[in-house]
Amino acid sequence: MSDARARRVFVEMLREEWRLHSRLFRGSHFSLFPVFICLLIGGAAKLLVVTGTEPETVFAGLHALVFVFGLHTGSIGFVGQDALRNLLGDVTLLVFSARTLPLSQNTLLGLFVIKDSVYYAVLFLLPMSLGTVLAVRGVGGPFSVAETVLLLWTTLALLFVLGMGTTIAALGLAGRGVPGLALLAVPLVAVGAALASSIDVVSYTPYGLFLAQTPLRAGTTVVSIFAVFLLGAVTFDATAPRPARTVKPTFRRWWRRIGDPVATKSLLDIHRSAGGFGKVLFSAAVLFGVTAALVDFAGQLTGVPPSTGISFGAILGLSGFTTYNWLTQSDDVDLYLSHPLSVRAVFAGKFRAFLLLGPLVGLAFYGPALAWRGGPVAEAFVGAVLLVGVACYIFGTTVYLTGLSPNEFLFDTPLFAVFGAAMVLPLVPVLTAGFAISPLSGPLLTALGGFGGVLGVVGVGLYRRSLLKWSERYQQV
Amino acid sequence: MTAIEIESLRKSYGDVTAIADLSLSIDDGEFFGLLGPNGAGKTTTMEILTGQLSPDSGQAAVLGVDPATQPTVVRERAGILPEKESPPSFMTPREYFDFVGAIREMPEETVTERTGVWAERLGLTAKLDTLSSDLSRGQQQKVMIAGAFFHEPDVVFIDEPLANLDPIVQERVKRFLRSYRDAGNTIVVTTHDVDVAAELCSRVGIMYEGDLVADVRPAELDTDVTLLDVFLDNVDATVNQIDEPLTHE
Repeated sequence: MSDARARRVFVEMLREEWRLHSRLFRGSHFSLFPVFICLLIGGAAKLLVVTGTEPETVFAGLHALVFVFGLHTGSIGFVGQDALRNLLGDVTLLVFSARTLPLSQNTLLGLFVIKDSVYYAVLFLLPMSLGTVLAVRGVGGPFSVAETVLLLWTTLALLFVLGMGTTIAALGLAGRGVPGLALLAVPLVAVGAALASSIDVVSYTPYGLFLAQTPLRAGTTVVSIFAVFLLGAVTFDATAPRPARTVKPTFRRWWRRIGDPVATKSLLDIHRSAGGFGKVLFSAAVLFGVTAALVDFAGQLTGVPPSTGISFGAILGLSGFTTYNWLTQSDDVDLYLSHPLSVRAVFAGKFRAFLLLGPLVGLAFYGPALAWRGGPVAEAFVGAVLLVGVACYIFGTTVYLTGLSPNEFLFDTPLFAVFGAAMVLPLVPVLTAGFAISPLSGPLLTALGGFGGVLGVVGVGLYRRSLLKWSERYQQV
Repeated sequence: MTAIEIESLRKSYGDVTAIADLSLSIDDGEFFGLLGPNGAGKTTTMEILTGQLSPDSGQAAVLGVDPATQPTVVRERAGILPEKESPPSFMTPREYFDFVGAIREMPEETVTERTGVWAERLGLTAKLDTLSSDLSRGQQQKVMIAGAFFHEPDVVFIDEPLANLDPIVQERVKRFLRSYRDAGNTIVVTTHDVDVAAELCSRVGIMYEGDLVADVRPAELDTDVTLLDVFLDNVDATVNQIDEPLTHE
């Protein structure tokens, strides 16, 4: 490909990425996104530092976050078409132009990676770096703010590129059958062995370069990035056909047990889509980890051991949101309107699927939390009531505000503000009691249990009220 | 007997008028084609008739049922093949037919039997247990066609039924549609393919800017007049640019 053509494709890819995000974030709102990122990351970093987290930990966490972000970004253009389709409908990216235009697939892939690196480095990583450094400034280090921003931005960008390259290389190897998978296992085993031998692997990554700017660390960073991209270029074939997946008929069997076709389809969608039910559990596991950290932190702050039942119960109930999100990822109401189903019946099916999955997912982590942290039986019982109540409340609120599109919260700031207020108002008093009062008296426990029940009833009430709202909405649009 | 009755139907999207003032009557057993350029209001009409959309004013009835007030009753009795929908990505064709059968409360034996019949009819047998996301567009279209006719409805609404199908399957589908009509059922098809409308439909309504501008029976046209001639005579000159040269020179 000539330089002029490559430049043109690169510019068009940048434009494509901008338009994709503009559409996701409702047009002009997206131009403010870097400011939002700067404030969000800066605010979070400030909060962590103020509450006693070491700045080094904040920087390490940010690097880890960006690496995961890089891993994810590497996959979205190549294997994330399903996810994009769910959000935007049919999507065809310029990286697939080799199917219709006289362009080299490898060159397109290279341009795609460069485009992503530039785009995300400028619009995401720079505001992240600025926000973080401004939030933790004055807490040490020989560099000025500007120098630290520049250093952090550089190492974050390198880590992001390394993450993308790792995904592409892994996808390439995974597509080469058993030998490829075996080769994929080699670096994983090597890293595991190095860690087991107390070798500080992290020092040789871009994060290590952030900590100490030595020629060795710079060299290992460059070599690792070069290695993953070389491996990716050799093994990855974006045009390779994916074998058709054949599965055993399951719908009828599940439907007999569940009793509702929409609920059955919703659960089958989760089971069959990438990650299966594991992704639902993973979302709850993240919440579980956050709760554990919060409980520890609250205990240190107040000097009072938090109530395991109340704190874990109330927070794990929030997993209802992510569970509902997964239940609505693969369809919308329109899909059902060519069948003799009312909008009301579609939502009823989703509610049934939620009842089968939502509280269960929260309780799957609540049980181990109790086993790990212990606590009085009465508090454990009230915590379970709170968990189910909060899960139903967050379900009802989400359905009322967004219908079958909980992703709307990501793109509609006023709606997100209403949702945030609706969550904060009932949860703050519950969590204050759970974190700061010990032991919890009988009357207070009774009140908390009753409040959990009220939240559940309010959630179901909101769900019922939303039925009329969405029935009318879908008939008029 | 009248299968479908539309009277003074109007529908707008903001400032854009999708249906201006549409009145139409379709008899039992007719193969009716709604023909028109893009944006003529064909799909909006179809969505109103199947209860997926409420009109701003006017009346519609399908088999005597008002789709605006009883949408699920209409959809119970009708078969619908929307243009843009494809079968759910994470279901196989067999599971999709099970799903359709479950919603329509059909006995499992009937569902199993019709799954076999439709798979045979459309050459889907080898793909019955393949996830729909891994089927080609044409195979997905076959699944949707089978889903629309699965309960053997009295009225079927189909939007661009032959899109993405290979010529052999197109011919099979055409023959099936004719035989289905011959059995006394009503078929309403929307298309912008004049040849398809001329070949299949006993009667064609030409829509333009939300209005029904012509109502013709292709079989009764004079020998020197084609449906394309009628179509071009009835759409605006700004749309009708067929006389302008479009050659590689």
